[in-house]
This record gives sequence, C-alpha cells and structure tokens, in this order.
Amino acid sequence: MLTWLRHLDRILRGEATKPQELAGGTLRVPIFGLAVVIDVLGIFYGACMGLFSVMGGTTDRWKQIPASMVKVPALFLLTLVITVPSLYTFNALVGSRLKMLSVIRLLTASVAVMLAVLASLGTIVAFFSISTTSYPFMILLNVAVFGISGVLGLRFLLQTLHRLTRVVDSEEQIIQPELAGPAVVVGGPPPVPAAASLGALVHATPDPLGKHVKKVFRIWLIVFALVGAQMSWDLRPFIGNPNQPFTWLRPRESNFFEGVVKTFGKLIDSGDKNHRSGWRF
Amino acid sequence: MISPLLSRPLRWLDHPAGVLRARPASLRTLLSIIVIFSITYGLVMGSFSVDGHLRGRQMLYSSLKMPLLLLATFAISLPSFFVLNTLMGVRDDFKLALRSVAATQAGLTIVLASLAPITAFWYASSAVYERAILFNALMFALASLAAQWLLRRLYRPLIARDARHRLLLRCWLVIYAFVGIQMGWLLRPFIGHPGVKTEFFRAESWGNAYVVVWELIVKSLHG
Repeated sequence: MLTWLRHLDRILRGEATKPQELAGGTLRVPIFGLAVVIDVLGIFYGACMGLFSVMGGTTDRWKQIPASMVKVPALFLLTLVITVPSLYTFNALVGSRLKMLSVIRLLTASVAVMLAVLASLGTIVAFFSISTTSYPFMILLNVAVFGISGVLGLRFLLQTLHRLTRVVDSEEQIIQPELAGPAVVVGGPPPVPAAASLGALVHATPDPLGKHVKKVFRIWLIVFALVGAQMSWDLRPFIGNPNQPFTWLRPRESNFFEGVVKTFGKLIDSGDKNHRSGWRF
Repeated sequence: MISPLLSRPLRWLDHPAGVLRARPASLRTLLSIIVIFSITYGLVMGSFSVDGHLRGRQMLYSSLKMPLLLLATFAISLPSFFVLNTLMGVRDDFKLALRSVAATQAGLTIVLASLAPITAFWYASSAVYERAILFNALMFALASLAAQWLLRRLYRPLIARDARHRLLLRCWLVIYAFVGIQMGWLLRPFIGHPGVKTEFFRAESWGNAYVVVWELIVKSLHG
C-alpha cells in the first residue's frame, strides 16, 4: 500500500511524467496498485460526503455513509470502464501509436490525480457536512468539488498525453534514421527538456504533436465528463435528502443537468419560503 | 517552547517581533504564538458588558474559540493546499510555503492582540452591543489587511523562484476564506449579547453562512 501511495506521490509531483521517465511511450505505474489507491481515496471522500446525512437524525441514516463509501470509487471506476474502449478505438483510428496498456495506465493515473484532489478537499466537505443544514448547498458544494478535481485530473491527462506523444514520435525517428533521412533528424523535434522541476500540470513544450490524437482525447474528455456526471446521477443518493428515508438507489428519472438546475431553483425557493415563514437559523 | 516563555517572557517576545519582520521561525514557535495571542484577543473580545460586571464565562469561551477558529480553519484547508502545491510541481518549496502561511496566521494574531487594548477602551467607552460587533469587525479587517501584507512579503521569494506560487497563494486565500467564514459563523457568539444567557454554542447558529447570505439577497430582491 505504501509503495502504491509512493507511486501516486510521484505522479502528483510530476516525477512519473518527466520526459525521460516516459521512454517506451508508457507511464511506469502499477495499474492495480493505483486502482487500490483510488478506492481508498474514494472511500475516504464518500465518508466525508455521507456525514451530512447522519447529521439529519432519523435512525437508519448512518447507512448513507457506507453507501457513499462504496459509490464514490464505483462512480470513477465504472465511468472509466464504460469510456475506455471507445477511446482506444478512436485513438488507434487516427493513427496514435499509444498501446492499449499505455492508454489504460494513463487513464488510471489521471483518475488517481482526480481522486487525490477530491480526497484533499474531503476535509472541507466533511466540515460543511457537519455544520450545514441546507441540502441544496451540500449538493452544489459537492458538484463544485467534483468539478474542480475533474478539471485538474483531465488537465493532467492532456499534458501527459502531450508528453507521451512527443516521446513516442522522437523514438520512432531515432529507430529509423536511414529511412527518415538525416534532414529529418536534424529538423526533428527539439530535444526533450530535462526540467527537473516540471510540474505534472505544466506544458512540456509549446510545440504540439499528434494533433488528431489530441483532438480525439479532447472529445473523449467531454464524453468522460458527460458519462461521469450521468453516472453520478444514476448512483444517487450520495448525500441523502434529509426529508426522504434512506435508499441505496433512487428510481431512474430525469438527468444530472436538469437536477443541478433544479437545485439552484430550490435554493432560491427556500430563501423565499424562509422569508415568508420566518428564519430557521 | 512554553518554559522559556515563563522564565524569560521578554526574551520570548523576540519571536513575535521576528514574525512581524518576516524572519523565519519554526512551526512550533508559530503555533505557540498563534495560541497565546489569539487567546489574548479572545479574552478582551468576550469582556463586553453593559452594566460593568465582569463576564468571566464569555471571556473564557471567546478565548477558547479564537485559537479554535484559526487552527481548525488552517487544518481543514491544509490538505487541498498540499495537493495543489504538489500537483503544480512546487512540492520542494512546500515547507517554506507552509511556514509562510502559518507565519501569516501568527502575524494576524499578533496584530489583533496589539489592537486588544483599543477594543477594551472601546468597550469601556460604549455600551452598545451592535457597535461593539462593528468595532470588532473593524479590528479584524485591520488585522487581516496587515496579515495580507505580511503574506505577500513572505511569499515574495517564493514567487521570485517560481511564478506558480502566485496562483497557489490565491488558491490558498480562496480556500481559507471559504472555510474560515463558515467556521466563524459556526463558532458564534464571540462577543455575546449581554441580555442573553452565555453559551458556548448557539443552538440556532448551526447553519450555513453562505445560505444565510443567499437568503438575505433573495429576501431583499423579493422586497
């Protein structure tokens, strides 16, 4: 477990994604180990999230905590499983030289970054879960926290992909110098910077290669975000409505985006209601 | 840390003086400064009284709440600050960054404690509860401004080394304020209405500062 955490630390520090570490066109990270770390971080965040429900009062409310602890890691891993096959297919279609295993490693590392950010914000969510009585506020706070960690994780994905593509391309040219001719070697990509302090989110060079591959990944990011958002909607409740009894899953209805808009509406309504019936606070 | 304070209190005061001049200090020194000086201001803050009676209980509560407010906010905000620093690739500077934000907290409490006599003087001259709240808000605003100034100064070498620290500093301020506002709201009352029985927590204060503000806005819009 400690070795796996060290791997996560190397990813976060940007050491695992240094250009010289990416030789061979793949991230050197253990998929299984990272999946375990993802689970542990997700379980921690799930507990922070489920705390809100326990503060509600009724007897079986505590069940929300184990439910959320299972659901948060499931949310990320299921989303990954659903979206990876199409990503790899389109990736190969546009001529990327990344292998399936490299793609899976890259994605697992990105989700690990996401979960690390999510879990680090968990203390804040736990604090608000305990101190807040407003259900709509908790929903919006959690949406914001998931949004932040999602954006950072996907940024990591794009930057690492950029570096991987560079490494793969430059290796191809080193392997076949006669075929490519000396002019191409001279005019080929500039030497990969050593950059010891390069962060995991920092652009390695201003010169993007493999434009099609990047485009596929960009489109896939949107797919990933949409599937993830809808997955979170299907796995509800994560937080637990204080006015409803505990359920493991809710019946299928509506979708994520409609839900967020409605929550904003409820926040406005509740302000209006309190105005009429006196303050709750 | 505490024993030199008791044996030679004047020598110990060199530590807070060094913090104000942005000199490096150990985390333990900073922690003791935060605790001691925030307790000082808390004692004065809770001493508001209309009829001249000493309100020991409120003074005790306020003096406990002040360090709690600062340290709990700090602890809750720290994990995300740590991960963000790591992710931006400046983990090697984290020790310095941590010491800078901790020194800022210490600076805040020192400034507050130095303003405590003025607050006490205000309490002595005015017995209006609302004005006491406003005056404390003013003192906190002043101390926050001073702390901001100190933070910028402490962060200057970090930013000179790597511009990414500027963004991280802003992130820290946003996270810290977001948590701190709710923590302050939760720990009310700090001053304590003289007409109301003194309690550590207010039962009705268990809520959310942002929702209350939002409802105030909605209320004002609906007329």
